[in-house]
Amino acid sequence: MVDEGGQLYTIEGFAAGMIMLFTAYLVLGATSVYTPGDTHISDMQLEQIGTDTLRMMNTPVNSTTESQLQDIVENNNVTAAAIAFNTTFLNYCNNRTGSQTDNLHYWAEVSYRNKTDGNTGSYYLTSNRNLTGSEHPVRVTEWTLVHKTLPLGAPYSPEDRAVLVEVLLWRD
Amino acid sequence: MTDDAGNLSIDFLAGFTIFMIAFIYVATMIPGLLIGLQSKTIDYDAVAYRTGVILAEDPGMPFNDPQYGGWESLPNTLSSNVLRFGLALSKDTPNILSPKKIDRFFCETAFVDPPNSEYPNYYRSRAVFGDYPYQFNISLKIDGKNSTRSIGDPLPDGYGYSRRVVKIKEESSATIDGAQLSMSPQFWSKEPDAGNKSAVDLGPRIHPFSIYFNYTDLTGNGPYYNSHAYQIDPISPLDEGVTINLINLNKTTRFGSGETTWGDPDTTINLTSVIITKSWMTPYLHTRSSFATVPVSISDNFYYVYIDGNTTPLTSFSPPYNNITNNVTLVIPPGATTGLNFLGGNDPSTYMNVTLQFGLSRGDWFLNSTKSQPYRAFVYNYDPANVTQPQLRDGVLEVAVW
Repeated sequence: MVDEGGQLYTIEGFAAGMIMLFTAYLVLGATSVYTPGDTHISDMQLEQIGTDTLRMMNTPVNSTTESQLQDIVENNNVTAAAIAFNTTFLNYCNNRTGSQTDNLHYWAEVSYRNKTDGNTGSYYLTSNRNLTGSEHPVRVTEWTLVHKTLPLGAPYSPEDRAVLVEVLLWRD
Repeated sequence: MTDDAGNLSIDFLAGFTIFMIAFIYVATMIPGLLIGLQSKTIDYDAVAYRTGVILAEDPGMPFNDPQYGGWESLPNTLSSNVLRFGLALSKDTPNILSPKKIDRFFCETAFVDPPNSEYPNYYRSRAVFGDYPYQFNISLKIDGKNSTRSIGDPLPDGYGYSRRVVKIKEESSATIDGAQLSMSPQFWSKEPDAGNKSAVDLGPRIHPFSIYFNYTDLTGNGPYYNSHAYQIDPISPLDEGVTINLINLNKTTRFGSGETTWGDPDTTINLTSVIITKSWMTPYLHTRSSFATVPVSISDNFYYVYIDGNTTPLTSFSPPYNNITNNVTLVIPPGATTGLNFLGGNDPSTYMNVTLQFGLSRGDWFLNSTKSQPYRAFVYNYDPANVTQPQLRDGVLEVAVW
């Protein structure tokens, strides 16, 4: 009689093949977890553009003028300030070297320290699109020095303050 | 009876074959597992980002060569000495770009000097980096300029991308209105008999107009904590140039009347010489004799003089080319081996005086700085009333890599 010890059977080979295929299927499926890199890159690009935009807005054109960002934040006419910020910010961040411009959306506010209670106060500056919650914005900020009364309308004389301009920036 | 030991059974062969087929199939799938982790798109974006950072935030290497200054000033024969491109003015001024570096970077032929440099490999190894021979397109648009500057290949459909918002520094300039200046007591020209009509009937006169550069003040007392972005810097590596326009030279203001009027039409004006002198003495102590003449001539191209809007610079002070009707423009270009840096000996303690001598056919009120105190010169400094300060112009830089 033939000794069958140590031999493989067809059913065993088939089972081994199925196990390998199933394992490969699981591994392939699992790699999708590691590939949201594209999202990360586009976030980084948006952050880069937003940071550059605020930094350039906060850079005076020459040594005898204030920066555009400082002018805008110091402007107590909130409507005029909103219009100026909207125009300037979009001009910078949508600007491209080609003929077509970009189409970014933002929501901006200004934060400061409230001298009365020591808490952080903030007020809405402007936006070109409402936040609905479905967007995927990045947050960029820039500190700027202003001569202004804060909170708005407080019974103080204007004084030198450091304020934080925060912008949420996203693309459709 | 036959001994079966060592024989393979049909059952074993079938099982082993199925196993091997499945094994080979899975083995061929393994390289595909890494596709998601080595996405070319991600790689290209990262390379474009790196190149964008290098160009916008770094001054390049070398940035302070003892002889030439920055990489942008190296002659073509030394182009192999350029280790890294970078367009920023300095490490302290990210996103503020140097116009000299821009001009050099976007000139494809500037570095063509085989075997040291060959476009585009030269750019790959100094701006894009990486072992893989990436294709690239780098473009810059400056607001107010008609054309977009670019270098590299045409863009394909898909590529890695980075965009930087930047500002470009423009050099300072001064526009001196002859009519305005003659109204200012410090620039009154006073002939010996000034005030009398007979003064204009005097014989030929030389009227010097001097422009004074205090390098110590310019490089040490700039606005915004002496930031390079707003500095008027004649010294290497920035070694910026200046433009001085003298306009309305055919108008004058008569002493006493305060009325701007045309100069005497009978008085002809010639630019007879440009004299450049420098000193290292304390400015309040120096006298003209303490200044040493810098031996450069108008044909040496260390400075350029344009008369009455002519686009061709003056090459000699011989008549009739040096005859002036209305305006004179003096351009001292940037550059480590020419311009203010060279003329001042690349020394921050230099006091330099550029004197334009105007020959008048007869005595007349005219542009003349000899009454100006304390330097007897127009001072090129950080006073915005005198000098149009360096401006920053908006721009956008895009890097595409594929």
